[in-house]
Amino acid sequence: MIYNYETLPDNDNLNNYSYCLNVVNQMIITKGKMIAYYGMLRFEAIGVNLLDLIVQESLNTPRYGNNFVVVTGQGKLVLGDRACEIASYDLEDAHLTVKASRVLAFSPSLICQESTLAGYLTFLGTGQLIASSNGPVVFLEAPAKVDPDAILGWADLPSPSYHYDYEYIKDVFSAVGSLAGLKKSGEERQLNFTGKGTILIQSSEQ
Amino acid sequence: MTSFALKNDRLLQVALDNEEILATAGSMVACSGNIKFEKALLGGEGLFGVLKRKVTTEQFELMCVKGSGIVYFANKAQEISILPLNNEKVFIESNSLLAFDKNLKTNVAFAGIAGATSGQGLFTTTVEGIGHVAVISQGGILAFEVNGIYPFCVDPDAFIGYQGNVQKEFIFDVNWKTMIGENSGESYQLKFTGQGIVYIQAAERPRPKS
Repeated sequence: MIYNYETLPDNDNLNNYSYCLNVVNQMIITKGKMIAYYGMLRFEAIGVNLLDLIVQESLNTPRYGNNFVVVTGQGKLVLGDRACEIASYDLEDAHLTVKASRVLAFSPSLICQESTLAGYLTFLGTGQLIASSNGPVVFLEAPAKVDPDAILGWADLPSPSYHYDYEYIKDVFSAVGSLAGLKKSGEERQLNFTGKGTILIQSSEQ
Repeated sequence: MTSFALKNDRLLQVALDNEEILATAGSMVACSGNIKFEKALLGGEGLFGVLKRKVTTEQFELMCVKGSGIVYFANKAQEISILPLNNEKVFIESNSLLAFDKNLKTNVAFAGIAGATSGQGLFTTTVEGIGHVAVISQGGILAFEVNGIYPFCVDPDAFIGYQGNVQKEFIFDVNWKTMIGENSGESYQLKFTGQGIVYIQAAERPRPKS
């Protein structure tokens, strides 16, 4: 299959690892995730620019602001991320939190804020979000406990808390145990989700 | 033409019938029948070709695979794609090549200054003739047509190769904001014009540490 401007899909996956985005107005993408594009597109850093009027409402994250660039113009943009699976999420009045390193692109109509859990971004509102995952995404209903490495994000859920195994706590409190570092299963720390909502999990611990 | 097929997307199956192919040294994973593996001394490029590869550092270590039987090739579970060449010439990075027909001619070509700045080296490998080339990539290769209508640009780190009458141009999207450290992360791009096909992969090669 040889793609050209006409045969490239509008806002759809080319294969599991690449996604074609039809840029009409603006899109906010993560730096370095562009692998190819047709058309006239400009990549602008978020700095001192008139364009910032558009994004300053949507990009409410001083810590991650430098990770993103604004794409303007008209064209078709192909995104890729280290040959990881890519999926697009059409959000409608949503409240979705995603691992910051997994966010590839989102429309400026969404409001992006920092989650209270470090390293995660929360998206509010209506628009499109594109995120990568190591292995296909699995959706899980809360309440559940998840390995912090395997988590991709969660939707419509309160922020999780850490749950430690009782055995591990016992070890920490007993001097002998904490010195020897005994009885570690490697799963002594888990993210505990309560309430009603959906958890997004990667099929890998990375 | 030797029969190249994919056993799955990460395993190449080649059926040989008293034929000979060239493959990256050490890429065989299994074989049946009467197959011999030899170090390809000159890689089909002659003495001058070997010298050229030494000088340009566009090197690959090849082996000659000959005999009758079935051979399987793989490299680090990377995706493999087969490009059929019909008297065509394809430019490809030497570390993306896995195997190719013996009667295809390989050579070293100057990639332009672009290669030096993008960390791919100044030179690239050309494969020419009639036969099959097996190319490795992360996540499979994507082919894009270049025509005069829309400009086509790629990230140099995701670039694999191209064929046809294509001109490669390196563009720097550098402005005063780059100078104060606010770069857009996409400051270096390869722009293609002309008529042809460009191959990329859905992953960025890690840049060599400098």
